[in-house]
Amino acid sequence: MGFEQVPSSLRELLADVFEISPDCIAPELSSKTLENWDSFRHLQAILAIEGEYSVRFDPQRIPELTSVSLLQAELEKMGVAL
Amino acid sequence: MQSDTPRQDLRCAMQNAVAGQNAAAAVKAARQLLAASSRPSDVLFCATAFSTMADALAKQLGARRLRTCIVRSVTLEPVLPSLAVEAALENYVLDIQVGGYGSYVDELLNPVSALGNFQPELILIVLDLEEIAGRLPDLCADGVGSEVEMEVEACVARIGQLLRGFRAHSSAQILFQGLVVPDCTSLGDVAEANLPHSLTAAIQSLNRKLAALCGTVSGCIFFDVDRLAARDGRARWRDERMFFASRLPVAAESFRAYSRGLVRSFSALFRAPRKVLCTDLDNTLWGGVLGEDGPNEIVTGSAFPGNCYLEYQKYLKQLSARGVLLAIVSKNNEADVREAFNVRAADLALSLDDFIARRINWNEKADSIREIARELSLGLDSFVFVDDSRVECEAVRQLLPEVAAVEAPAMQPWKLVEALSEGAFFDVTTVTGEDVRRAAEYRAQTQRAELASSAIGRDAFLASLGIVCSFQSALQAPLARSVQLLAKTNQFNLTSRRYSAAEVEEFASMAGGQAVAARVRDRFGDSGVVGLALARKQGDSCLIDSLLLSCRAIGRGIETALLAHVGEQALRSGAKRLVGEFIATNKNSPCADFYPNHGFIRISLPENASPVSKFYELDLTVSPPTSPKWIALEDH
Repeated sequence: MGFEQVPSSLRELLADVFEISPDCIAPELSSKTLENWDSFRHLQAILAIEGEYSVRFDPQRIPELTSVSLLQAELEKMGVAL
Repeated sequence: MQSDTPRQDLRCAMQNAVAGQNAAAAVKAARQLLAASSRPSDVLFCATAFSTMADALAKQLGARRLRTCIVRSVTLEPVLPSLAVEAALENYVLDIQVGGYGSYVDELLNPVSALGNFQPELILIVLDLEEIAGRLPDLCADGVGSEVEMEVEACVARIGQLLRGFRAHSSAQILFQGLVVPDCTSLGDVAEANLPHSLTAAIQSLNRKLAALCGTVSGCIFFDVDRLAARDGRARWRDERMFFASRLPVAAESFRAYSRGLVRSFSALFRAPRKVLCTDLDNTLWGGVLGEDGPNEIVTGSAFPGNCYLEYQKYLKQLSARGVLLAIVSKNNEADVREAFNVRAADLALSLDDFIARRINWNEKADSIREIARELSLGLDSFVFVDDSRVECEAVRQLLPEVAAVEAPAMQPWKLVEALSEGAFFDVTTVTGEDVRRAAEYRAQTQRAELASSAIGRDAFLASLGIVCSFQSALQAPLARSVQLLAKTNQFNLTSRRYSAAEVEEFASMAGGQAVAARVRDRFGDSGVVGLALARKQGDSCLIDSLLLSCRAIGRGIETALLAHVGEQALRSGAKRLVGEFIATNKNSPCADFYPNHGFIRISLPENASPVSKFYELDLTVSPPTSPKWIALEDH
């Protein structure tokens, strides 16, 4: 499934947000493939990630970060050590 | 990064609690986890866990389930997990439905909107400045605006229409959230503070008027979110980025403070406040140990650190001014304590007489509290116990779990008041004349007890009290007092139904219905409104839905006088039979035989009646109940 490619801290956090097993958090998981990932859940994911890693996303980018790999890439771009 | 091991252990404990559906263990694990971790994901984790335990929380811990509607103009969905968790920690299970952004007027006023059909028991109304008073910022721009006051009045009138319109078709309890005073305005800090019609002044005035408005709507309270924002820090209360991008009114870092504030506020609508504060003396009411240091050396008075204790004493005195009864529970020699209160009177804000009950001895404190409960005829769940000793607090928690034990911060006496005010124990939505008179009333009770032990025979004693009883509509009791009685009375309460003001109004307005309050005084004082009966007519029967009597008034025949009055009114409305209902709780055994003792005969359950009820019947045409001869009845 490829969940090993997602750092465990991010995987566990997203598992809490989307109420699924950490093993299901693969890079390609997105708002298109996960029914639970609606706009409010997305906002919750963003707020949880910001709290966890002490970062602030650019609000213009927030609506675009709708997959695990996009979130991960954005965090890496912001210099977060995952 | 915080160390992860305890966090993982607590998450495991939570998962185990969920697997075993052990509600107490889940609450404990969640409390510890959230105290140790500030991670948003842990809040979400707990919310998910609690959402699978609703039944367990209700069944095992008696958590109150509340169908809750949120009517809003802002984004609140991200706050909901935190709200659910804080509610669960306070023993509520919220079944939440959220309204649309722009549809709050329809939701409030239209009885058949989705919200109306949901039949909420609680409704949270969260509107932002734009919706409540969108014109104010412009009108206040020059700080002297002539239209500001009119605009404030118009806003209040509009909200008043919404609240009353909602009340006309729903008896749900209402929480109305006020406005946060904006932090950055074009006038700047100096003019905001000094000009008569700055936005700050206008919003503060609007908040006060909205609070007063809520006081005129039954079952409605004003939630002062500005007070919370100020406590937390207005500058960080709202994350402007997320407010403008997503209309999120509260920053993620403040979700917990906000949720806790909401739960504490609406709790006052559903839960009776505690009534008695038992305080320890040494290192709690004053610093030091009286038995070792002597009365002249105990720490209290205007100099530090004595002023910390003085502040705590003043806080207790203020609590007693609104009806909280004070008691001393201390391991000391009583003579030493008397001497200390005499010698140090000038350095103490309280005198011994301010304490309605005292247990100054070497007995176990749990036993002392139990004795005071019996002496005052109050349940243990009305008690708060404050003591600096962790051991004493833990003993009380284990032996008397209903009592709220607060550990006084002996090493940091400046935190005494904070430790007490953090708890919602004494939160009230209203203070009535009865509350203010309560301490005097309990003192009179002690005198009555003395008379009882000297008088010969019960009837002679009761006659010597000179009891005068009058009946009036529960709507004029006043209504707030009637609702308070319904909410707080446990021991002499035949059905323990906790009706809202709107529901009491229904009883009063239906044909053949009754909502009667009993007011009582005797030669020791005015007890005020102490009894209540609600009844409805069905065919030629009068059904007594609720009948209750404040525990202070039990044993004087007032319940009989009240029953006789209900019987008279029933006859007058054409009823031939009185039907009484009794629902046993673990507290109301004092009134279990009320109906049989008054000549009622047990009958089988009517159709659709709950099997927990017992029904009794009395033929009014043959033997109507009569009022005891030692009670003088007065027309109201």
